[in-house]
Amino acid sequence: MIVVSTLGAAAIGATLALFFVANARLKSANTASARSATVSAAAFDVRAAVVAIDVALQQVVEEYDAKNLAQWRRASRSWEAPATALERAAAASNDRQEQRARALRDEIRSYIDDYGEPVVGIAKVSPAAVRSSVAHTEGTIRLDQIITDTDAVARNSAVIAADRSGAAGRLADQATIAGIVALVLTPVLLILLGLWLARVVADPLRQTVAAASEVAAGNFDVRLNERRRDEFGELAHVFNAMTESLSVSRSELIERADSLERSERHKSELISMVSHEVRTPLASVLGFTRLLLERDLPEADRRRYLGIVDAEATRLAALVSDFLDARLIEEGRFSLRREPFDLRSLVREQAEVTLGHDESHELELELPDRPLEIDGDRARLAQVVGNVLSNAVKYSPDGGTITVGAAEDHGHARVWIADQGTGIPPEHRGQLFQPFYRGDAAAAGIPGTGLGLAVSRRIVEAHDGRIGFDPLDRGTRFWFDLPLEAAANGRR
Amino acid sequence: MAARTLRPLILICDDELPLRELVKAVLGDGYRYVEAEDVNQAQKVLKESKPEAIVLDVMLPGKSGLEFLSELRAKRRNKAIPVVVVSAWQSADDQRTALNAGADAFVGKPFDPKDLASVVESLIAA
Repeated sequence: MIVVSTLGAAAIGATLALFFVANARLKSANTASARSATVSAAAFDVRAAVVAIDVALQQVVEEYDAKNLAQWRRASRSWEAPATALERAAAASNDRQEQRARALRDEIRSYIDDYGEPVVGIAKVSPAAVRSSVAHTEGTIRLDQIITDTDAVARNSAVIAADRSGAAGRLADQATIAGIVALVLTPVLLILLGLWLARVVADPLRQTVAAASEVAAGNFDVRLNERRRDEFGELAHVFNAMTESLSVSRSELIERADSLERSERHKSELISMVSHEVRTPLASVLGFTRLLLERDLPEADRRRYLGIVDAEATRLAALVSDFLDARLIEEGRFSLRREPFDLRSLVREQAEVTLGHDESHELELELPDRPLEIDGDRARLAQVVGNVLSNAVKYSPDGGTITVGAAEDHGHARVWIADQGTGIPPEHRGQLFQPFYRGDAAAAGIPGTGLGLAVSRRIVEAHDGRIGFDPLDRGTRFWFDLPLEAAANGRR
Repeated sequence: MAARTLRPLILICDDELPLRELVKAVLGDGYRYVEAEDVNQAQKVLKESKPEAIVLDVMLPGKSGLEFLSELRAKRRNKAIPVVVVSAWQSADDQRTALNAGADAFVGKPFDPKDLASVVESLIAA
């Protein structure tokens, strides 16, 4: 677009220059015309003076007397002034004209000196001789030549003036056309220039204003085009950095708020779950206590009921301490009591404790022949297996087979527990190990605190292990890896 | 012997053994009892006998007590059996849900033995 504006300026400049030149030419043509008139006038005077010389000479030849002689003397002097004037005027035109005028002057002088004066001298002594045709013819030829030359000077001067004025006229015509073109072109160029300015300045400004309004309205995803290499490009870059950082901080805030909200919801679900878990044994404790207080019961019944109260109160105490324990582990405030042991025995024990009396599930054990020696906290790892196993039972209410296995896998001991239950919907998979996260379990009436998997992960990670799960066509397979004792020793 | 066979039969459906024991102790010797740990067992009992009343827990392994109740009410044969829902879930919402499912009475855990006894007595008398 700079090309267009430069072009516009050049066109206007050229047109103006053309006008100046045309004006100068016209002036010069006028001067030439005036000069031509001066030359013509001077030539006329010279012509008249020459004719006067001729007339005076004829009269001297006709009648040689003092009066005619005086006339001749006057005439042969009076041509000098007009000839000088002509010469001066011609000199102003050009060199050729000046030369012509000077030649004319020489011719006249020569006519007077070489022809006039001798004729006058002869006329004094023999008037008849000068009237002879030879002398007369010589004079006429010379005179005609002088007059022709004089006319030539005048004519040339007129031709020069005409040439100049013609050229000036043509130039003036061209200047007019150029002026008209410039007149038409200038608004077009101005419009183009305006459009260009709009694109270069107004558009990015407008875009920036629009983007800023978007940001003010809360849309931090708006970005400006950073392609330009001027101040607007720089502005766009800074603007984008600003919206980027706003966008990041906002999504962080939203994420934090969401996480707080989730955590709050999980906590309130937990409270109602804990109160349910506590109320069940509490119902037995209170109910039997009331019966014992209000009714006279046989000693055998009294003892049996007290036994139940004791068992249920103990269960309550265990529930509370489990819960506190889970909180401590979840918060990472626990230490491991490591000892080397065979993971196979732990897995077998837990599977039998959890599923031994469960009639609705089939247990399938997949254990290797060789021991899986690891160095770990047996009680804590039993807790992990127990948690995952009790989940497998809780989340497969329609029964089915629960497969519990262990094997060596790339220097690790892997334990897996697969159920044929309801499976984990994709939307819950990401948060499964979050404390208090229970997915749809609360709504489905499945008991639990939402701490089991969170606690299990803490314990496994404290053993430098990993825990995870794979969704199956039917159900879910949870697994965890622990370093084998040899590998663990090697690392220490 | 005749008097003994006339004692009303009560189905206690709860997965917690201590709770079943408590209900039996509270209601006393005036009734005969049949127990179920889950919905499957309760349904089996209903096929073999017709209890005068059911004491039903809500949170059972597998199918919930309320699902069992709805199915029960859908069958003409069992429509009239009085059901007392006993649950640790006892918010107003929980009670309303139980009554909507077809419960005749609702008792929250823990409960006063006298309350449960009088509720069961009045339902059987009615």
